[in-house]
Amino acid sequence: MLIFLMLGSIAHVFANENPLADTTPLSTKKQALIYLEKNKELAASTFWPNVPPVFFLQNLKKNIDNPLSIYEGISTNFCGYAAFSYLPLHDDPLGYLTFMIQLYRNGKAIYGKEYFEPSKEVKLAAGTLSFKGELDIRPADQLWFLALADHFKGYLNFFDKQYHTGDENKLWACVNFAKFNRMVRNLFNYQVSAIGSDLFRPGIRDMYEYLANKLQTGTVALLVNNVELFKRNHNRLKVGIPSHFIILLDVEEVNDKIAITYWDYGFKSRQLLSASFLGKIIFGITTAVKKTTHAQ
Amino acid sequence: MVLQQPLKKQPMPNKSAKLGLIVYCSVLLWSCTSMKKFSSNYFYENEQTLTTIEQSYKKLYQDNQFSVAFTDRTFNNISFEIITDSIKLIYEFEVTETRLQDTLVKYKFPVKEVTGLIMQMRAVKCIWINNLDYYSNQQKRSLVYMSFRPVTFRLPFNNEKYYTLTFYAQPQYFDSEGRLFATRQLRKHRKINDEIFRRINDRVCYTVSERFR
Repeated sequence: MLIFLMLGSIAHVFANENPLADTTPLSTKKQALIYLEKNKELAASTFWPNVPPVFFLQNLKKNIDNPLSIYEGISTNFCGYAAFSYLPLHDDPLGYLTFMIQLYRNGKAIYGKEYFEPSKEVKLAAGTLSFKGELDIRPADQLWFLALADHFKGYLNFFDKQYHTGDENKLWACVNFAKFNRMVRNLFNYQVSAIGSDLFRPGIRDMYEYLANKLQTGTVALLVNNVELFKRNHNRLKVGIPSHFIILLDVEEVNDKIAITYWDYGFKSRQLLSASFLGKIIFGITTAVKKTTHAQ
Repeated sequence: MVLQQPLKKQPMPNKSAKLGLIVYCSVLLWSCTSMKKFSSNYFYENEQTLTTIEQSYKKLYQDNQFSVAFTDRTFNNISFEIITDSIKLIYEFEVTETRLQDTLVKYKFPVKEVTGLIMQMRAVKCIWINNLDYYSNQQKRSLVYMSFRPVTFRLPFNNEKYYTLTFYAQPQYFDSEGRLFATRQLRKHRKINDEIFRRINDRVCYTVSERFR
């Protein structure tokens, strides 16, 4: 036990001595495209039998060219993974590509602090998901979402930890708020500040001011009640729980309302909401700030 | 000698509770059958209006992509979504509000046709109309998706059910029970919004769902 503690403290000292060790990895779209070009002859992977390399590379190129196009699919529970993909696709596309190509080629890879070796079921399922809209023809996104859902587990996944056909729509793929924040920290090494929870709303008096301030510091993800946001039924009795992650892109005061611009489902949307309604639908706010050497 | 104990008198269930249970079960059974009847008959009873709505929407959608949802039970408020190349703009209006017409003018929609469509939707209690992309043999196709609120009795605390119609551009394939297949070759049931759809005719299918979009 003592040895373990000593090793832990030594590791901590080394991490502090090397300022580069705790920075958020960053790269450019140009670097990513050069790397993709170098791998254009990628051979078919025995680990991912239903993901042809040509379509895999095409999908990756689409994600690099247009990072907003990544699409979680209709009726899946992949929204958390799609929302947090906004970060590497914008800030470190090379890191994302390196991981994806290694995972495709070797069936296992390391991303940030995490070692991925997806289960056999997941490897067979990638490339076969259907009736999910554009996700049907995006095998690399299927691979990415399935690998993430297979690897990261939260309390919502407690009763469904092993992938079975159709689990992408079920609890197996769910992301709770703490898991979302853990994924951002461990994979991409951002400084994450989070307020709110899966059940209770954050007690923020002026939501507009809070969100506007947070947007100036980093990327903001929101955990929202999408039944209210998208009005999917007219039930009088509504369960006030959140189930959808979006990326907040802009917030603006328009007369007595608040206009929010957000990303989800592969597209940007702008919606005018009252301040009280906005306060009612937001359950969690995550701000991911890049760690730089200067900031330390 | 064992004396036989007198049988305990079983408590008679409360008559009104018994009656309540019977009424509840009957209403439940009736609401299920009425929903089925609603689904199978609704299209044919309103075929002309529904086809007109579908055709008008398709025509308007070719020039300006949009969708319309009635957001309340009284059919007075709508959510109007305008889809441009880069962004989806989501507006909320009262149906009679001048702001709706101003917005339609601003985004170069034919005002008369769009307001006409909204009024037709209101008349047949169509809650939501949308163009939905789907993929068949790696090819992108689209369908028109329309949801309705059935005017049937609903038990308290039961979630509302919606009747959904999908209009396809091409004839579809079905199994012997009328369930929609993915393709002619792929004998797998196609799901839309995670629901299995059933045949009304070669190009129109329906389902009953707990959500309208």
